[in-house]
Formats: sequence, C-alpha cells, structure tokens
Amino acid sequence: MSNLRNNRRGRRKIFRTVLIYFSTIIAVIFFIFPIYWLIATSLKTRAQAFSTPPLFVWEPTLRNFIDIFIKRQTEIEAITGQELELATGAETFFYNSFIVTFSSIAIATVIGVLAAYSFSRYQPHGTNTLMFFILSTRMLPAIVVAIPIYFFYRSLGLYNTHIGLILLYTMFNLPFAVWMMKSFFDEVPRDIEQAALVDGSNPIKVFYKIALPQVLVGLGATIGFLIINVWNEFLFALLLTERATRTVPVMIAGTRGEVGINWGLIAAIETLYILPALVLIFVLQRFLLRGMTFGTVRGAK
Amino acid sequence: MTRVEIRGLRKSYGTVEALRGLDLVVESGALVALLGPTGAGKTTTLKCIAGVEEPDDGDILFDGESVLGIPAWRRNVAMFFQSYALYPHLSVYDNIAYPLREQKMSKDEIDKMVKSVAEKLRISLLLDRKEPSTLSGGEMQRVALARTLVRKPLVFLLDEPISNLDAKLREEMRTEFKRLHKELKQTIIYATPDYLEAFAIAEKVAVIKDGMILQYDTPINLLKRPKNRFVATFIGSPTINLLKGVVRRGVRGWEFSAPGLRLELVEVGGASSKIYDGLEVEMAIRPHDIVLEAQQNANTFKAKVLAAERLGYETVVTLSVGEVELKTVSKGMRLYRYGEEVSISIPGDRVILFDVSSGEAIY
Repeated sequence: MSNLRNNRRGRRKIFRTVLIYFSTIIAVIFFIFPIYWLIATSLKTRAQAFSTPPLFVWEPTLRNFIDIFIKRQTEIEAITGQELELATGAETFFYNSFIVTFSSIAIATVIGVLAAYSFSRYQPHGTNTLMFFILSTRMLPAIVVAIPIYFFYRSLGLYNTHIGLILLYTMFNLPFAVWMMKSFFDEVPRDIEQAALVDGSNPIKVFYKIALPQVLVGLGATIGFLIINVWNEFLFALLLTERATRTVPVMIAGTRGEVGINWGLIAAIETLYILPALVLIFVLQRFLLRGMTFGTVRGAK
Repeated sequence: MTRVEIRGLRKSYGTVEALRGLDLVVESGALVALLGPTGAGKTTTLKCIAGVEEPDDGDILFDGESVLGIPAWRRNVAMFFQSYALYPHLSVYDNIAYPLREQKMSKDEIDKMVKSVAEKLRISLLLDRKEPSTLSGGEMQRVALARTLVRKPLVFLLDEPISNLDAKLREEMRTEFKRLHKELKQTIIYATPDYLEAFAIAEKVAVIKDGMILQYDTPINLLKRPKNRFVATFIGSPTINLLKGVVRRGVRGWEFSAPGLRLELVEVGGASSKIYDGLEVEMAIRPHDIVLEAQQNANTFKAKVLAAERLGYETVVTLSVGEVELKTVSKGMRLYRYGEEVSISIPGDRVILFDVSSGEAIY
C-alpha cells in the first residue's frame, strides 16, 4: 500500500521535474535563438543566408569577418571604377565606440560616486531637491533635445569629436550613477564609518578605505548598466558624428552590400559588437542581479 | 589620564531630543558607568565625546580644554560601538590592526599588540578569519573589543561592551575590565543598561534617563538614597516596593499610612521641610531591607505569603499586608506555603518617601 503510494509520488515528482526542465529549455531556446541566428548568419555566404528553407547545416565561412576589416574590390567597382562606401575599416568604429564608452563611463562613475557619497552621508541643504533636479534631467525624451544639441554642438565645435560624445553620454549617465550609488551608500551602516573616524581615519580615508570597499558590488552593477547605456546609444551618435568619430551602432545601420543589403556582413559586425557586452554581462552577472533587485536578494553571495 | 567634563550637552535628531542638558564630570583615571534604559541617551553621549556626533549646545572638556574643535580622527579616543561596527571587508586581524595602522606604527609592533590583545580576549584562533560577518555574536563583540582595547587613547568609551557574551564570559570580562583599569589607570566611560554590571565595575555610576543625568553617585548611595522614583525602581532586583499612602503626624513623629498599614518613620538627617500632615506620598522599601520573621517591636506586621520564588541562595517572597503587596527576600531555601502567616518588620530608617507628582525623594 505505502509502496504504491511512494511509487505514485515518485512518478509525480519525475513528471514535475521533466516539466520544469522542458519549459526551461523552451524558454532558453526562445531567448537564445535570435543570437544563434545572428551568429549563424555571420558565418554564411550571401546565397546561404537567403536560402529557403533556411539552412541549418552548412560549411561556415569567415569571409564576412574578413570583409569588415579588409577592403576587397567588388565586381561592381571593377566594372564601374567607382568606389562604394562599404563597411570596411570597422576597427575605426570599434575604436570610437570603445573610447567613447570607456571615457564617459569613467567620468560619470567618478563624479557619480563622489556625489552619491556626499548626498548619502553629508546630506547638504536641499538634498532632496537636488536629487530630484538631477533625476529630472532624464525626464525628457532624448529626441526632444536632439535638434538644439545638434546646433549647439556645431557652434561650439563639439560636432564630430570624441569629446563631444563623451560629454553628452557623461551627462546622460550621471543621474543614473548618482541615484543608484546613493542607494548603495545608504545601505552602509553609519556606525562602521564612525568607528573608522574614531580609529583615526580622516573623512577622505574613511571614504576610500571603509565606505567604497563595501559598495563594490553596487559599483559593479552601476558600471554594468552604464556600459550598456552608452555602448548601445544610437540617436546622438548618428546625429553628432561623421565617419571619423562614428560609433558601431551607427555603422551597422549604414552598412550596405554591393547589391542590396548584405545580411552576412551585418551579422558579422553585430556578432563582434555584442561580444564585449556578452562577456561583460557574464562577468558582472551577480552584480547586475543585485543592482536590479536593489539589495533584496541578500543570500546571492 | 584625562579628566572629562561635560557641560550642558544638548543634541536633537529632528524633533527627538536625545540629550537635554547633560552634565557629567569623570575624574582623571576613573571608571564611571553610564547606567540607563535603552533610548536614555547613553550612546549619543559617548558619540559626542568621541566626536562623531556634534552636540547642538554645551561643551566637552578634556583636562579643562574644550575638544569640540578637534575632529574625531585627531581626538585620540577609543570607542566600542554597541553594534560592533566591524569593518566587513577586512579580516579579523586587519580589523584589530586598523587603528594602529592609522597611527603609522611599525609592522612588528602592530603584530605584537594585536596578538597580545587577541590572546587576552581569547580570539587568537579567529585572527585569520577573512569575513567578520561569519563570526558569532559573542565573537564579533570580542573582536570589536580587541580593536578598542588595542589602543592607548586618552579616554576609553565602551558602549555596552559585554551585553552579548554568555554569562560566564561576561563575569570574566567584568573582572578583566577592573584589572585592565587598575593596570592602565585610564579614564573609562562605560555605558550599560544592567545595574549589576555597572555596580560591579564602576566606582561611580551616573544614572541617565531622557538625556539627563538623574543621579551621579556611588553604587551604595544609589541603592540607599535614590534621588527619585526612577532611580529607585531602575536599580535593584527584585524591584523596590512602592506603596501609595499619606503622611500623618503620629505620637512619636511622622507616620506613613496606607490601607491596612501604619508605619513609624525614623528621621534620618532631619525630616525634609516638604513634609506636612496629609501629604500624599509613595513609600519605597527595598525587599532586602524588610525583615522576615521579626521579633515583636515597632513597625511589625502580620503578613500572608502569596508566592515564593526559590533562587538558590535566596528566596523572593511575595506577601500581602493589609491590602497591599510587598516583596521581600530571605536567605536560604526555606519553603513557604501559600497562605502561611509570617510576621515582618519594616525598619523605619530604611524607608524612602517620594513626592507623588514629581517623583522626587523627600525623605
């Protein structure tokens, strides 16, 4: 009797486990598939990419990846003698993306962390008003200020410069950095910093020897979010750059083939483009999780 | 050796007044206990002395000189925080070594001092633990204590330093503090909510409540001559007996009368001028002062046993006299039966009278 019941319970348990695994696999496939298809397309020739039904087994080619960087004379060019603007020399765009992302995030993080610490610990007069003011700069849709900023940048000579994009992205990211870091600093118990003061550390030492090490997780999360913001920014990059300072998202949008759109080429650029983000998110995974839940997942160590 | 003087200290957090004109003088090299319930202002007082909180008003002087202008990191005060405030990202060793490193001591010297204090507090085995958050409460407390005691400051401020230790270790630590104090001859201010701890350690105890010192006296005086009702009830176990009644002029002097109880008062140091016939008072008598199974004399009453708690070396007996209830303590383990009749006597010179409205002692 009890054996039978155990049996039934056991069978139900197996059924449950199978169901959970099955639905997990379905969900993972659903989300992974676009990325798989992207990478797969980047390894196909033009003909393979357009084949119907879609090819699932083919001989992969690295042609697209080489084409991104090295110029090769196309048949059309050979015939017409006219040069097409192709997506060659992609290293410039990747370099632009890197330099703009890295610089603006470095500036936004340093200023943001210092500001957040001051707001959290010293609470200057009007802290709430200032915090709201900082946030309010993010309340307008970016496109509303796009045209004024375009003219503004042209007259200031910031148009088509790295520093222009860096300043703009720093401005966009600061509110986010300040708000997020403040919430992490707020969580650090005051007694710990007071203990360090009594132990002979001046406030600057207390900041970098005691407070900062305790918000490292939060700092990682903040930087992660900022990188995604800047790395993927399209609108202002399109508006404020020309070929010399163009970033990768704009380059992707402008990529053509010699005839029609060369999806293999675009897929190859995109594959390279999402790679840093993928690696980064993999590394910062636990920080990001904590950032999103703002400290509610306590045991996530 | 530093004399600490606090004058009219005031501190508010928003609308909450934590300190309301606190005065205290701690003589050079003295160990003084700051005794009071939670929320009395003990921690705020210590934090003001340490310099991590700025008082709104008043002054703090070390050896006669105001220290309010000296920031916490240069005031040379060591403080034990009630919340331990261990640095979570540092190992146990680094936690204890932190204040020494801030003083730019040599590595060998630091190592020697950390190891010796760790041995004293029996945490030598914990020294290389990486994350203080994995320690037990008692271990954290000892690490925090080590971080405080490793220093040679002007003043030690200890905020409930042994409240979380188990009973045996707590007893040892009390002795350790006394020994340490004798050795270092340092000024120590010790905050605690436990009057036994305060009495065991300190020569003088300041009872604090609502941000003010109610009485600053030796333990024996706090027990025998509390200045007000709060001090009387906060100190002593079992709690002092309090009876509402009226003062009357009797045949041989003042008498206290409550329903079913009439007590002759013996004047000590002259009756206060505040006493008059018909004055409503609260009479207080310590359970230990009531004599059980007394010989016939003045102030002897028949009483009925209501309950008896046998605590080993003494027994707490709850009695009813007339319409009032009293607690008393008898030595030993004698068994009292419910309803048993005993005679008690209340020594008239041990009685304290409090004004009903103000709670101040008047006799």
